[in-house]
Amino acid sequence: MFNRFAAKAIVPVTLSLTGFVIICSLFLYSSIKKDLLKDAVQQETSLAATVVSSTRYTMMTGDREQLYHIIDSIGTQKGVEHLRIFNKEGVIMFSSDPAERNQVVDKTTAGCIECHSGPKPTVRLGSMRLARRFVNAKKHNVLAITAPIYNDAHCAAGSCHFHPTRQKVLGTLDIGLSTASLDRRLLALRWKMVIFCLMVLILSVGGTSALLRHNLLNPIDRLMNYVKKLARGDIDNDYPKGIREVETLGRIYLKMAKERHKAETKLLKVRETDNEVKP
Amino acid sequence: MFFRRQHKQSPPPAPDDQRPGPELRRRQIENRIRDLRGQIRHSKWWMALFFLLSLGAAADFRFLPPISDQTRQFLGISPSPTLISIALIIYAFSALILILGRMNTSSTRFRGWSHIAYLAGFYLFYFYSGDLRENFWPVFIAGLTILGLESYRVWSFCSEAIREEEKMLKFLER
Repeated sequence: MFNRFAAKAIVPVTLSLTGFVIICSLFLYSSIKKDLLKDAVQQETSLAATVVSSTRYTMMTGDREQLYHIIDSIGTQKGVEHLRIFNKEGVIMFSSDPAERNQVVDKTTAGCIECHSGPKPTVRLGSMRLARRFVNAKKHNVLAITAPIYNDAHCAAGSCHFHPTRQKVLGTLDIGLSTASLDRRLLALRWKMVIFCLMVLILSVGGTSALLRHNLLNPIDRLMNYVKKLARGDIDNDYPKGIREVETLGRIYLKMAKERHKAETKLLKVRETDNEVKP
Repeated sequence: MFFRRQHKQSPPPAPDDQRPGPELRRRQIENRIRDLRGQIRHSKWWMALFFLLSLGAAADFRFLPPISDQTRQFLGISPSPTLISIALIIYAFSALILILGRMNTSSTRFRGWSHIAYLAGFYLFYFYSGDLRENFWPVFIAGLTILGLESYRVWSFCSEAIREEEKMLKFLER
């Protein structure tokens, strides 16, 4: 099967084209996925910043009741998987899940290790490094952001409670959003790319086969049948037409067959005359 | 492996009295057939080696010791994954064009070893930049396409040449 002319012409083209299209599609998918994730992280970062700035006043006044309400109401929003505020020691002070309150977090887990990997915790990180993706206990895919709550002049000089000026980070806000809609979009994109690759494969194989069949294989078949006919001694002036090269070959074969026929007739005549002369 | 070179350097046909006898010619043909079959076998071995390498890459080269900080300091910062990906696309494109171009010559030599080295290089670059998991499939597909096409080219030419040699062998045995 692979030794046939059609296979020899189609296999390399199909293989190289499909392979290259798949590589490019994979890179395109990866690049789009990165962009979508970057967008989601940026949105989440700004959401975290909004939460921090809207709770800042209640934190400064030490109104814990108000803060619980704010965290609870944000935590019940659609798509919000968790919302926590840790203090400097890693104790969860406020959480949308009441069971988590006053629990200590493990600093080696994802989301904490990024800052706590060295002997001294990193004070500032880029937004992409503050983000983490994981599957939570409810089996939901989550994209979480940990936003540090920095010390500022108001906090250091607050009348209610006091943070020394040398303390750079007062605590951390951890917000996790469901990535269900992002995952759905990525899945749809993946399927679109698979369909695109299949279409390229079908078009390349189908197109090359159809063109080869029409322009090469069929004319060669017709030429082969014509030459077989000539070889049987059946001289037919209607040689295959359509492709210049095939036409030229057909004409040459016809000429050769006619010359052979003429030579055979001449030979026969000579033999007949010889037989008449030799009684 | 050097069949093509031997082919190119073959001396002009000797005069009738100096031509090798049928036994010698038969042996020469058999040797050529063995060489050609060796080329096909070679291409399969290189493919197997690439699959082994890819298995290691799929496991994120966990069996290798982690790169020490000293080595990282010595090697410097890795190129960004985007740059490596651009290099991979350019490499895949050029390699495919070169292999397709080589199909016009009747070279029976398998030249997959250099591609294995390039592909291993890409795996290592992604591994060093810490992005191998994300970019494993593009390198694997690139390798599969390039080595697959090269193997097909070698198999196609070699099997054709083997058929011709076998025909000559049958003719000699008659």
